[in-house]
Amino acid sequence: MNIYLTYFAIGIGLFAFSALFALFGVYAERKVAAFIQDRLGPTETGKFGLLQTLADGLKLIQKELIIPAAADKILFMMAPAIIFIAVYMGFAAMPWAPGVVPTSLNLGLYYIFAIVAIETLGILMAGWGSNNKYSILGAMRSVAQIISYEIPAGFALVSVVMIAQSLNMQTIAMQQGVLSTEGVKFLGFWNVSKIGGIFAWNIFRAPHLIIAFVIYFIASLAESNRAPFDIPEAESELVAGFHTEYTGWRFAFVFFAEYSMMFLVSMISVVLFLGAWNTPLPNIGSVHLATWTTGIAWGIIWVLLKSLLLVGAQMWIRWTLPRLRVDQLMNLCWKVLTPLAFLCMLISGIWRVFLM
Amino acid sequence: MNLVQVLFYIMSFIAVVSAVIVASTKNLVRSVFMFFITLFALAGLYVLALADFVAITQIVIYVGGILVLILFAFMLSGRETLNVLHQQKKSFISANRVAALLLAGLFFIVLVNMILKVDANNLLWIKKALATSSVVLPTSDMTGNIGVNLMTQYLLPFEAISILLMMALIGAAHLSRKEQAQ
Repeated sequence: MNIYLTYFAIGIGLFAFSALFALFGVYAERKVAAFIQDRLGPTETGKFGLLQTLADGLKLIQKELIIPAAADKILFMMAPAIIFIAVYMGFAAMPWAPGVVPTSLNLGLYYIFAIVAIETLGILMAGWGSNNKYSILGAMRSVAQIISYEIPAGFALVSVVMIAQSLNMQTIAMQQGVLSTEGVKFLGFWNVSKIGGIFAWNIFRAPHLIIAFVIYFIASLAESNRAPFDIPEAESELVAGFHTEYTGWRFAFVFFAEYSMMFLVSMISVVLFLGAWNTPLPNIGSVHLATWTTGIAWGIIWVLLKSLLLVGAQMWIRWTLPRLRVDQLMNLCWKVLTPLAFLCMLISGIWRVFLM
Repeated sequence: MNLVQVLFYIMSFIAVVSAVIVASTKNLVRSVFMFFITLFALAGLYVLALADFVAITQIVIYVGGILVLILFAFMLSGRETLNVLHQQKKSFISANRVAALLLAGLFFIVLVNMILKVDANNLLWIKKALATSSVVLPTSDMTGNIGVNLMTQYLLPFEAISILLMMALIGAAHLSRKEQAQ
């Protein structure tokens, strides 16, 4: 029975983490936006406005849950739960530190890719269920965008999998540092198995993986509906897109899902490209920085730090770049990112066969 | 009953009930969303049959692709087209249901016949596989196995399918192209 209790504890812990992250993610987003636009952001509630989003959350929970009279009630009520659960289930296969992974799934990456795709169904449900033109337009834009950008994202991931020869997230993480059992080569010529650190990360194992990382990062922005790819909820045209009609905690769940998705895609790129829980500090001679800073506590710290850095980059981009038009969005996806991702996959195959 | 059996019965119950709802409901969009639950339960059954790769592929292809495509077709077609279904006659047996009833009845006979004839406990091919010990264990590497087989034993069907998909893709691109002004 104990093992099931552990499972429940892990599930609740991950939920608490995503809720906490959403709370402070919103706060960080507002502060970053304020900084970029030369404002102050929230300052009143708590020290530096730290409790602002907590207060907002309390307000949201108390609000009335309105179901529009013309809505399809079942679909309308189920949609936020499905959107959130799809993203939340993705965390099940993410490695946090050496030996710390909720489920060491043999098909980890493929599972995450599949389960996150269910979010599109939740979005369509929300859009159709609301029975509102803005909602349905937002939902269709969102789904069209997510499905298109899954292709370059998928091929960028495949190019990593071809180098790593595994779909297990923990195995991929293990290969990128001093704990790796097979030799790690920096750009294919310099054996860094004993040195580790930043040189052993996947983006430096083969130079084209840097391009693959950039492709995945851009595609992940589109998949989490973030600016510059936020036409699904373009405020100036569609009010709020697919979640126009939502109030109270249902709206909060849609928001949780968006911020959890931001963290999830950042964590996927960290695990696959940026060394997962491995330290960026290399062993230099007798100073074994990499060996000292590898462990369970260090692993969790590094993963969090790197993922939060990428989330920060996402926020920075959101408040810097203007929104893309639909045709520009599709052009970027099909004419630039997809061929580049294909090329990365091809080079990966050649690299694996001839240079490793 | 152990946990796997309990899970099997739960999954198959969900699959059957949701499939019945898919077939019987009048609201087409809801029936598509219900179909998603059927497919999810089927994916669960695949996992119990140690076919985890097939299960996840099922979710990727059906949920990420086909269901969304069906829903797009619904949403792009007007409400009038969808309302035709509501205006059908309520009677159970009518002229435009003969074909469907016939097909369902015949298929049911085939199924029942098969279930009665098959002796599930000592099938020949399962015995052969056990004798040559070419069976999948919960710990064995499924994905690698599928990949190696696709690239060796089943290379020709695999390539044939890829050519077929390529043809479909080119055809779709041609159909959706704008007509040149004469």
